[in-house]
Amino acid sequence: MTASPFEIEIPRGRVIEVQRDDTRVRRGGGLLRGMAVVWKHWKESFKLNRSYSQIHGTFTIEYPEERPRIPEAYRNMPILLYDDETGHELCTSCFQCERICPPQVIHMTQAKDPATGKPVPAVAEFIIEYDACMSCGFCAEVCPFDAIKMDHEFELSTDDHTQLTVHKEQLLRPISYYAKIAPTMWAEVRESALKKLQGNIRRRPDVIGLAPQLTEKIAARRAELAAQAAQAAAAAPVAPAAAPAPAEGRKLTPEEKAAKLAAIRAAKAAQAGESATPAEAAPATPSPTPAGEAAPPADKAAKLAAIRAANAAKKAAAGEAPATPPAAPDASAAETTPSAAPPSDKAARLAAIRAANAAKKAAAGEAPATPPATPAGGTAADAPADAPPAAPPSDKAARLAAIRAANAAKKQQSGDGS
Amino acid sequence: MYDMLAALINGALGWGWPEWALNLLSYILIVTIVLVVAPLQMLFFTYYERRVIARMQDRVGPNRVGPEGIWQPIADGVKMFTKEDIVPQAADRIVHFLAPCVVVAPTVLMFAVVPWGPGMVPVDLPTGLLFFFAISSISAVGLMMAGWASNNKFSLLGAMRAVAQMVSYEIPAVLSLIAIVMIVGSLSINEIIAYQTGLIISNRDLPGIPDLGLGWFVFTPVGFVAFIAFFIAALAEGERTPFDIPEADSEIVAGYMTEYSGMKFGLFYLAQYVLNFLLCAITAIIFFGGWQGPGVGWLYAQGITPDNPNGNGLFNVLAGVLGVFYFLLKTYIFFFVMVWLRGAFPRLRIDQLMDFGWKFLIPLTLANLFSAALWVAFTRWGPAEGMLITVGWSPVLRWLAAFVVTLAINLGVYLWLTRVYAASQAERRRAELEELSAAA
Amino acid sequence: MEVVVQVVFGLIALFILVAAAMVVSVRNVIHSALWLIACFFGVGALYLLLQAEFLAVVQVLVYVGAVSVLILFAIMLTRQISGEGVRQLTSRWPVVLVVTVLLFATVMAPTLINQQWNVPPAPPLGTPEPIAGPAELGRGFVNEFLIQFQVVGVLLTVALIGAIVIAFEERARRRRVLTLAEELELKRLRERATQTETPEPVEAEPVARETRPASEG
Repeated sequence: MTASPFEIEIPRGRVIEVQRDDTRVRRGGGLLRGMAVVWKHWKESFKLNRSYSQIHGTFTIEYPEERPRIPEAYRNMPILLYDDETGHELCTSCFQCERICPPQVIHMTQAKDPATGKPVPAVAEFIIEYDACMSCGFCAEVCPFDAIKMDHEFELSTDDHTQLTVHKEQLLRPISYYAKIAPTMWAEVRESALKKLQGNIRRRPDVIGLAPQLTEKIAARRAELAAQAAQAAAAAPVAPAAAPAPAEGRKLTPEEKAAKLAAIRAAKAAQAGESATPAEAAPATPSPTPAGEAAPPADKAAKLAAIRAANAAKKAAAGEAPATPPAAPDASAAETTPSAAPPSDKAARLAAIRAANAAKKAAAGEAPATPPATPAGGTAADAPADAPPAAPPSDKAARLAAIRAANAAKKQQSGDGS
Repeated sequence: MYDMLAALINGALGWGWPEWALNLLSYILIVTIVLVVAPLQMLFFTYYERRVIARMQDRVGPNRVGPEGIWQPIADGVKMFTKEDIVPQAADRIVHFLAPCVVVAPTVLMFAVVPWGPGMVPVDLPTGLLFFFAISSISAVGLMMAGWASNNKFSLLGAMRAVAQMVSYEIPAVLSLIAIVMIVGSLSINEIIAYQTGLIISNRDLPGIPDLGLGWFVFTPVGFVAFIAFFIAALAEGERTPFDIPEADSEIVAGYMTEYSGMKFGLFYLAQYVLNFLLCAITAIIFFGGWQGPGVGWLYAQGITPDNPNGNGLFNVLAGVLGVFYFLLKTYIFFFVMVWLRGAFPRLRIDQLMDFGWKFLIPLTLANLFSAALWVAFTRWGPAEGMLITVGWSPVLRWLAAFVVTLAINLGVYLWLTRVYAASQAERRRAELEELSAAA
Repeated sequence: MEVVVQVVFGLIALFILVAAAMVVSVRNVIHSALWLIACFFGVGALYLLLQAEFLAVVQVLVYVGAVSVLILFAIMLTRQISGEGVRQLTSRWPVVLVVTVLLFATVMAPTLINQQWNVPPAPPLGTPEPIAGPAELGRGFVNEFLIQFQVVGVLLTVALIGAIVIAFEERARRRRVLTLAEELELKRLRERATQTETPEPVEAEPVARETRPASEG
């Protein structure tokens, strides 16, 4: 203790041990020492310090201009991933993240197959409240499909609070993005994640599970292909044979897949038109049904679909024998539809009325086709009723479906005529 | 200012204004300049302090608004002006409103006697130094008003601390200045500056020293001790960090400013920084010669002065510019030291502050006063005043004797006081421990 | 110039009178102290008007800067500052008024009667300045009025010592919150005490070692 060090050297610098009874300290030496330390910091601070083992020099990073490389494991807010190639989301809505989330800010709905009503391993809507998220990263850790990951984007400030409730469209990022910000972390899980994704894609019908960013592209491509297919179908009824050739969905791009689906449907419609006897409007039914499946929740689209279906039915009826009595059941069917389709009942009602009108006209103009007219009207009214639960969120797709249905009906008509 | 205006209006322009109009105009101009300069200095000081303290903490400091962040204080000012002015419901409204005014007004008044350059003093009072300190003590009343009117315990505590600190540290400050006043023999600030001509040694003490404007008091033992004591006291009066007890933000929020917002808070802030500027300035003036520096005296001698009425006006301007440069340089260096101390030392406790002030600084300055008397006796007194030892000594010998004697006294007193002070502190600790063990 | 001085004097005098009246008539004690400060200021201004600037400055320094602050300090340590519900006048205030006026009159009467009311003419140029500067005052204190000066100094010292005696409190009676360091010290003391009583050697050293910087190794 007698020879105790006044200063101690440690690897990172000097520790000055102040002993109050030391005369040098007592006479102001301690003050001067303290000032010397600060002086050195001041003097050295004009140099930039980028090696963090040094204690002198300015560490400041001029943030908006300079941005340090964010470490891979940095986590800010969760994002969802989708596959660049197929456009499929990795999320299967297993609810693991929703369950583990400590502030309970993750909410999701599982997608359902509109045809069967069974759940599909895909997510219909996914919401994260960024404003309450605490960036713990539990969701990313718990996700068995590596669908949810922590983003590096931290400039989230906004003057609109509601913007911080983030929906699936804004949450989705392509895998390539994540592979760029966290290459090694993605490389570790890449194999298993993609394998699981392939398994899930097989269980997803139609466009369910596709990233919404891509649906527009898909829709455009689909319309194109459908038009081609329709032409083909009109020209030669052999088209169905050619259309279903590529069977493996996962090897196709989403557009191709969708196009294929449309083609199949168109072909079916054409087939139906072909095989239809002059008295049967009934075969028109298959075409509205897929339209209904594919139809969007947006009621405009639904209305459109309904109108077109009705038109088709009208035309079909026009070419057939008149049937006065069945007009009544048609009307009643139309009246019952509103209750069946609460979410878009205006549209449904409209559609039903139009369908009824068409049926009436058909009845007024012709006599013999009583029984087939009823199913036509019925299905037309059903179509919008089915539409809401089934549909992908964009109404363009729905419009497409409606057009398809109309086309099919027309074809049937022309088949009738020929 | 009056001379300048008279020369300009009645001389150059030949308008022949009456004396009172010139007087009025000159005072209006002076007041305007003071009122513009004071806030500008404050704005600059806030920026300066933030930059310097940032560097000491290995940061950069504000550098976003304007080039190197120089407009940052303007942005802060705009913020202050646009903020809501809140008065607590339980506050004494009138006193609450008056307090910032009472705090700011004296700090601006103090500018009246600060000389910026040769011949550049707003009002040359024969009792300028006393005026300076008398006026500065008024702001204690303002602080008290602020603390009491806010009706807040933190405010009242802060005000109590502030006033106790200001009152007790005014004594060593004034005592250390009295030593200088004794040597100069005048309370006029201009006289004090004029005394500090020479080179290391003032040529008033030792005639024949060449005038380089460097005969500062800080080079004498008396002046050095006075400088140290005064600067410490100035830190306490300006509430700078080792002594920022009145607004100790970790203990009592913001002291007497707690319940103030908007521009009223801004006024307190203004008063504080203006006071700091003035304390640095007065330190520079009294111990470091103010605007004195190499060249200023020579330049000023060539210009138009009362002694030399037909000089060249250009030299006046040059001397003024150089003088203001030296003066501001010294002032800013002292403010740098203030910030440096802030970067280096933690806050004192109130009892440590009082102990240090009353038991160390005041005895030291009293001893220094004695040294100053000896200095005057050795350098100036003759047999007429009863000083018989120095009869027949040459001025150099007298100066040397004064230097050695005062140095010996001051050094001895300093060492003795440190020992006594440390012993008293140790004794106090021991007594408290004894008390504790008795309690145990 | 004379007129201006007269007008300024009138204004200052009025201000002083109003302030002094407010000091005794305001209910709130703090407010009356503040009015007192205003009154002191007015007196300082009067000195300035008399061209006794040293006195004016000292008036501000001593009365405004120190005395009034001490008064404020003392007031803030009392209760009932707002003065609500306090009667300012006793029921026999007319008697007091009469007595006061009489006393005042006895003091003032001789002055008023004996005063020659013709104002002396301005002194001719070249007469030395009246004693107002610090140097003259200082000489007066150490030559002419040395005894008085010393007596006042002793009186003030006595007052100071008296204040300390009154304020002094026995150390043992003081109750205070211990700092952490003191608590640690106390703990050690207690441990040492138990050590000496019981032969069991309980090492108090680890505590001491913890407080040292761990970076020595």
